[in-house]
Amino acid sequence: MKTATNQENERCYEETNRTKTNKVSTDFYQLSILPFAGIIIKICRAYTNSQEDFEDYYQEVCLQIWRSRDNFCQQCEWSTWVYRISINVCLTLLKRKKKDGKTYFTSDALPDVMLIENNAFEDESLNLLYAAIRHLSEVDRALILLYLDEKSYQEIADVLNTNANNIGVRVNRIKERLKKILHG
Amino acid sequence: MDKSIEAIWKEGFLNEKSLVAPKINDLYNQKSIHLVDRMLRMFRINLIVILITAIVFPVIYYFLDALWQGLTASVLLLLTAWYNKRQIDRIKTLDQGSTSLDYLRSLDQWLRDILSKSEKIARFSYPLYLLIAISTIWSVWDKQGLTLKIHQKFPNLTVIGNIPLFLLIVAGIIVLLMFIFSAKIYKWEVRLMYGRVFGKLKETIAEMEKLKQ
Repeated sequence: MKTATNQENERCYEETNRTKTNKVSTDFYQLSILPFAGIIIKICRAYTNSQEDFEDYYQEVCLQIWRSRDNFCQQCEWSTWVYRISINVCLTLLKRKKKDGKTYFTSDALPDVMLIENNAFEDESLNLLYAAIRHLSEVDRALILLYLDEKSYQEIADVLNTNANNIGVRVNRIKERLKKILHG
Repeated sequence: MDKSIEAIWKEGFLNEKSLVAPKINDLYNQKSIHLVDRMLRMFRINLIVILITAIVFPVIYYFLDALWQGLTASVLLLLTAWYNKRQIDRIKTLDQGSTSLDYLRSLDQWLRDILSKSEKIARFSYPLYLLIAISTIWSVWDKQGLTLKIHQKFPNLTVIGNIPLFLLIVAGIIVLLMFIFSAKIYKWEVRLMYGRVFGKLKETIAEMEKLKQ
């Protein structure tokens, strides 16, 4: 089930395409990325621990979306494409960063520093949820973000290039772990 | 905290539009860097391929018993590589301008200049390569006794330097045709190799000009 915002985004992208047919050159960022900025922000926040990193990741995702625009085929929705690229870019950047140190934690205790540095959203509960999500492994983070954004199991499987069969079990397991982290 | 994670998420993102996207100041500069890097990488790969061919050719021709032709082709290829290298180095002297758009425009102009010059060179180099190929084939056939067979079958044939005149005329016509069509062949070759990236350059310039407006 799609959220109202996602549907609005899809409409916006269709409008973009119509505009593109009429005009040879358009501002790709304004028309095809900005309406989907919400998706990118949600994902980049889950993979970064500071505002600086977040802005770097956001920029890299935008750049990659632009670079891969020719590879986009109509088989999936533009928003799914944005999800896929955002997750892939974040995973790649995180892999690079991993050389310097760990990016997720195996214990279920929230380090204070993460809470302090990540008051990115107005909602305090959301900040805590994000801090907990950052506790998960890279792929689990992607999975739970897609689940929370109300993507179907099939869509999640498509984005993560995996089988839809065990998504449900995995989501439940992640939710349990998140609850454990949040409620102590 | 008793709310479910789904509830926290929904409430937190009730107004998704309130999410502030970071300012992308440098996207077009990044795009330009990416494009120019890609172009330079392709030029360098092309240069390496030419150099490898220049080394491999004499060896192959040696086994074909046509070493001189191989060496001539190699010298021609090395000259091409030297010319290409000089052109690639000229990129560094391009006008960087105040914006990436200025740079891309001067890059586009540089490409036009190079293509026009290379097209003129191709008019002469392509027929030369063809001449070398014909000469090699003739040399191999000659060593297999083809000339002798032709002499025996057509004793009244006019011969210039051990080569029948009609063969020289045929070779001349082929080389002339190559001279006429070399520019077209060169353009086709360039389109095949760099068409996509050149198209992207034009597209990006158009996009940036539109944005500037």
